[in-house]
Amino acid sequence: MSTDPDMLSLWDLPLHASGVLVGFAPELADRYRGRLQEYGFHLGERISCQHQPGFGAPRVYRVSNATYSLDRELAALVLVKTAEVPSGA
Amino acid sequence: MPSVLLVGTPNSGKTALFNRLTGLNQRVANYPGITVDLSVGRLTGLPTHDLVDFPGTYSLRPISEEERVAVSHFAGSLADPEVEHVFCVVDATRLEKSLFFCLQVIKACQRLGRPVTVLANMGDILKRHGLRIDANGLATALGVPVRVVSARTGEGLDQVMAELPRSDVEAVPSVPDSADDILAQDDASADAALYAEAHRLAERFGAPSDLLLQAQSRLDRFFLGSLTGGLAFSAIMLVLFQSIFTWSAPAMDAVEAGVAGLGGWVLPFLGEGILRDFVADAVFSGIGAFLVFVPQIFVLTFVIGLLEDSGYLARAALICHKPLRFFGLSGKSFIPMLSGVACAIPAIYAARSIESPRARLLTYLAIPLMPCSARLPVYTLLIAIFIPRETLLGGLIGWQGLTLFAIYSFGMMSGLLIAGLVNRFTAIEEQTPFMMELPAYRLPALIPIARKSVQRAKHFVTKAGVVILSVTMVVWVLGYFPNQGADLGASWLGTMGQWIEPLFTPLGLDWRYGVAIVSSFLAREVFVGTLGTIMGIEGAEDNILPLVEQIQASALPIGSGLALLVFFAIALQCVSTVAILARESRSWSLAGRMVLTYLALAWVSAWVTFQLAGGA
Repeated sequence: MSTDPDMLSLWDLPLHASGVLVGFAPELADRYRGRLQEYGFHLGERISCQHQPGFGAPRVYRVSNATYSLDRELAALVLVKTAEVPSGA
Repeated sequence: MPSVLLVGTPNSGKTALFNRLTGLNQRVANYPGITVDLSVGRLTGLPTHDLVDFPGTYSLRPISEEERVAVSHFAGSLADPEVEHVFCVVDATRLEKSLFFCLQVIKACQRLGRPVTVLANMGDILKRHGLRIDANGLATALGVPVRVVSARTGEGLDQVMAELPRSDVEAVPSVPDSADDILAQDDASADAALYAEAHRLAERFGAPSDLLLQAQSRLDRFFLGSLTGGLAFSAIMLVLFQSIFTWSAPAMDAVEAGVAGLGGWVLPFLGEGILRDFVADAVFSGIGAFLVFVPQIFVLTFVIGLLEDSGYLARAALICHKPLRFFGLSGKSFIPMLSGVACAIPAIYAARSIESPRARLLTYLAIPLMPCSARLPVYTLLIAIFIPRETLLGGLIGWQGLTLFAIYSFGMMSGLLIAGLVNRFTAIEEQTPFMMELPAYRLPALIPIARKSVQRAKHFVTKAGVVILSVTMVVWVLGYFPNQGADLGASWLGTMGQWIEPLFTPLGLDWRYGVAIVSSFLAREVFVGTLGTIMGIEGAEDNILPLVEQIQASALPIGSGLALLVFFAIALQCVSTVAILARESRSWSLAGRMVLTYLALAWVSAWVTFQLAGGA
């Protein structure tokens, strides 16, 4: 895992913040990576956290013109960088 | 017959288009993955051709069972010379998410010389927001026609149908060795180029969607809020269950009155004797026993349809994911389990959309315990016997409705507990993560939902109703002979009942209930009709009320009533459900073990309930 302070997992992305997808953790199985890519999770794509329902429920992310819900296990394996993106976007 | 294939991503409105183009009423919902089997219908605009609707899939590389079905059949169909055209449906409001799959389809079709038309659905939504896509530009870039259409309004479909017969069907250049080869010619690296292309095309020709997403986000803030989301979910579920009982009561009363009125008109013409007894106690009792529940089944299906079509059910799946995960299930198990409240059979089919084999198996285990509509007549009868018909809050909520809610909750909790126990005590495998597209909210289309509800009610009448009526008549004959109804205990039915009585005596039930339970293995609802016939109610055309009064007068202990409720909540009696379970799980062994285990569990739980309630 990178030590870059601007890099964080999608699960750690604060509510209403956005980041640019920079990679996937190696633990992520190919088929799930493929499905995420079909959803539009491509390198360089901007992703924003739209909703964080309570009690550990899956969170809602916007990618391009669609919204998807990912649980912690999956969102924790998607890496985003926030440095060049103003939060609160 | 020549055919046209209809493919697309989940929730692109593909099945709504199918219904619009064929005039059929397939199950349509605003929830990804609702189409789990192939549907075929005759094109109304081109009656010489069939339209084949495939389950939605994000890619030709499937990860769920449902997608495997779609891709495998699609691959096979492309090699079929009868297939003349392919309609690829994309969501015009969210072009990018559909285009990757669309590009894959176009490539596969071009290899086999199949003409493709891209149908950019939901054009009405774009228009309402003053948005548009560049269909001509996209068509040029894709090299195939692109038509903006609306399944909801029918806009653009006349043009699509007018163009269809003029499509040039080329000969298939080469048929691969196996259907799968059609799609296996690309490797994963080729997909990256398609992703980039889909992205570029959506950026260039798609509509800006901020407006649509902002409206969705505002509603999600409420429905997915930590506090408001839970409250909204609870309120919606309470309304669902109240609607089944309290709201359908006037219609049920009307049906009862109608059947009673018909009986009052017909019976005097028959005089006294065996014919009158048969018509009164077998025919009218049988008809009344199932017809009275039609309003409840209609209301239940209608309310679930509203929730599906509005887009709320996907949010409900999200909210339920964490609690369901505790039992080894997935948020995606919620929809099949909720469908199981109407009927276990479509619920088992719907479980195909669960990617994880383990979560799918656990969902199979839970579904038969969901309180399906076939249990409703039994619950209704027992509640009417033991619970007063009093209401609260100005008639909005009734004790009977609350009791039904409690019984339904018991069934659902039993399903969850069994799934949880099996999950805990069997080998753990990798859990499949939860990922799901959230569809846009929309106003439910009332007419298709009402049509679907009518279909479900009709299905109940024509399938379950026929069984119920037949069994009621057979039971009447067995109870009437050989002594012309003079002594039920000495009848053929009484003799049979006394053989099996020892099984039910520990539950405080005599042979009549035993016979009714055994007859319910054909269909649970038969229990009510059989019991009515056995009780020999004069004027049984008025069905449920005289039966309720008769049982109340017989002083059936409340412990036995509760034991019956528990038995029916747990027992897996439905033959059709068992057959579908075996087919979907590809294991008769699993289905057989489930039947035996659930029956044993039902009996033991009923016995414990009877003992806890003070026995006889």
